[in-house]
Amino acid sequence: MMSAFKILIVDDEELIVRLLSMSLRSDGYQTVSAFSGEQGLEVFKAESPDIVVTDIKMPGMDGLELLKKIKEIDPEKEVIIVTGHGDIDSTITALQYGASDFINKPVRDAALAIALERAKSKIAIRKTLEEYTTNLEIKIAEATEEIRRKSNFQRLLITSSHDAIVAFDRDWKVVVYNPEAARIFGEAAKDVRNKMTIDDLYTPKIAKVFKNQVKDEKDQRNFPWKEQVIHTKDGRQIPVRYASNVLFENNEFVGTVNFFQDLTEIKRLEKELVQSERLAAVGQTVSGLAHYVKNILIGLKGGSYIVDVGIQKNNMEKLRSGWETIKKNIKRISDLTQDLLTYSKQREPEMETCSPHDIINELMELLKGFAASKNIIFSKNLDKSIGQITADPKTIHHALLNIINNAMDACIEDEDITKKHEVKILTHIDKNHMICFEVEDNGCGMDEDTRKKLFTPMFSSKGGKGTGLGLLVTGKLIEEHKGVIEIETSPGVGSTFRIKLPYTKVKSVDGN
Amino acid sequence: MSKKVLVVDDDPDVRSFVVTVLEENQYIPLIAQDGVEGLEKIEKEKPDLVILDVLMPRGSGIRLYHHLKTHDQFKALPIIMFTGIALRSFLKSQKVLDEFQGAEVPKPDIYLEKPVDPEVLAAAVRKKLG
Ligand SMILES: Nc1ncnc2c1ncn2[C@@H]1O[C@H](COP(=O)(O)OP(=O)(O)O)[C@@H](O)[C@H]1O
Ligand SMILES: [Mg+2]
Repeated sequence: MMSAFKILIVDDEELIVRLLSMSLRSDGYQTVSAFSGEQGLEVFKAESPDIVVTDIKMPGMDGLELLKKIKEIDPEKEVIIVTGHGDIDSTITALQYGASDFINKPVRDAALAIALERAKSKIAIRKTLEEYTTNLEIKIAEATEEIRRKSNFQRLLITSSHDAIVAFDRDWKVVVYNPEAARIFGEAAKDVRNKMTIDDLYTPKIAKVFKNQVKDEKDQRNFPWKEQVIHTKDGRQIPVRYASNVLFENNEFVGTVNFFQDLTEIKRLEKELVQSERLAAVGQTVSGLAHYVKNILIGLKGGSYIVDVGIQKNNMEKLRSGWETIKKNIKRISDLTQDLLTYSKQREPEMETCSPHDIINELMELLKGFAASKNIIFSKNLDKSIGQITADPKTIHHALLNIINNAMDACIEDEDITKKHEVKILTHIDKNHMICFEVEDNGCGMDEDTRKKLFTPMFSSKGGKGTGLGLLVTGKLIEEHKGVIEIETSPGVGSTFRIKLPYTKVKSVDGN
Repeated sequence: MSKKVLVVDDDPDVRSFVVTVLEENQYIPLIAQDGVEGLEKIEKEKPDLVILDVLMPRGSGIRLYHHLKTHDQFKALPIIMFTGIALRSFLKSQKVLDEFQGAEVPKPDIYLEKPVDPEVLAAAVRKKLG
């Protein structure tokens, strides 16, 4: 909490001021005092107290006048008015001037303590709200402030703002709609201002957020900036950051004001940044690849030696086996090059109609020989209803190939040779309408440390036999395809890798 | 009579290379894919020399080497370490294992770092077997 609130006590009766000061000090407040309205104002300016407690009846400048002056200087200042009996009229005036609270004369400590606590918590709430505020939100506060004052400055501020500003009155009709708002929402101001309601202008989802805000508890009403992609009526998608303030006048709801910032440019820059970070990562850890490349070289050298022997001895079998080795290693180096390229380049998925199950079947055909040679049982359990979808078949192929290869490696690496090793491939549609590809193995699994490093460039536990690029590339392809990868693993038990992609089924055209 | 040489390596490319080198130099090659299979073959086939990879899944070369050097019946069996990792890293991991198992084993007589020319490999085998 804040230490020592400073309280200004103003009363023409010196004794009262002294008594109050004394009891407040013993409660841990800091006090300053004045014995007239005029002096009160001087002290207020000089000391800028947090809370002012002023008597209403004083010769010369009275409490009301002082309240008015203080509020002119700082409308947020908490001013507690001390009234006598029968001061109804001045009490009402004080309310209009913005007094925070009233206590009756003679001032009792308990009543004052309660009023001060209330004032303090108001200040505290304001402080926490201020903590959220970035520079921009200060601008918002200014904007809301200005809206209240209905000055020219307000219009200027609103029209020239780089943020889109849209305000609604209590009936949710648009009353403020600045040029930037017109740019973002694509509707001309003349068609919107005083004509449209919140539901005409916004999509239901956003409209709901703002409408609900009004119902929230007072201190939760103002939320920090949120991000959202808005779909405009003319079909554009604009990423925005938005915030909103609920406006009250004399404790009565009068409307809301919303602020939007177009993030298109920022998002583009972010993408570029990610891109260049990716390149840097490749550069930094490329040395980690040296091992892998060395292994390929070993393969190529060995293969060419066997080919030489085959030629010399006219031995077809040697020729064939050497040539196989060479071809295999050429493929490894071209896959590596391909992975590096895929990883370092931004790529949009090439969407087309394809059958995920055909891809899975192809892959299993391709890998079943290897699996059998390592005593790994290969099985599948596919959801028949999936059919044809719109997706990038290359992404699905590449991602599954990497993950299945890893699953088989995990079986091979497993220390427990008594296990019957298995790799299962499953598909289904989940409740969020995503198509899920699951690759489950009962291989070595991963400890926490390995799990954390999975997507680190060139992280591989396979020494010269792995590139540490597989998951990195897979992760990137899936991300570009608006999908996610989920991983469950337990050391010594096995792992499940789950790829989820948006499911867009293609209606089968049967008959004709 | 031709001597038997066992190659323990999980990489089929390496195996066929070493096998070819051995054949070319009139040795009888035997193969094993990992440490466990390696030990089985050693017990059954009684090779005259073992060419051993360090990094393999399951019962790594380091462990097999350790086993051979700490069991009397195998102590005399000559071993060529044949591997992708540098000798320094190998010695370090061997030291860790020594400390862990409380037995100190001798350094390998011959340590070859891949890639190796066929002539160099053949010469190493000849040096051990004559
Ligand atoms: N199914 C799995 N089970 C256990 N570990 C895995 C599995 N998939 C990936 N890993 C771990 O993640 C690491 C990185 O995988 P990846 O990026 O494909 O590179 P690489 O396969 O070349 O090592 C692997 O070396 C392995 O340690
Ligand atoms: Mg991999």
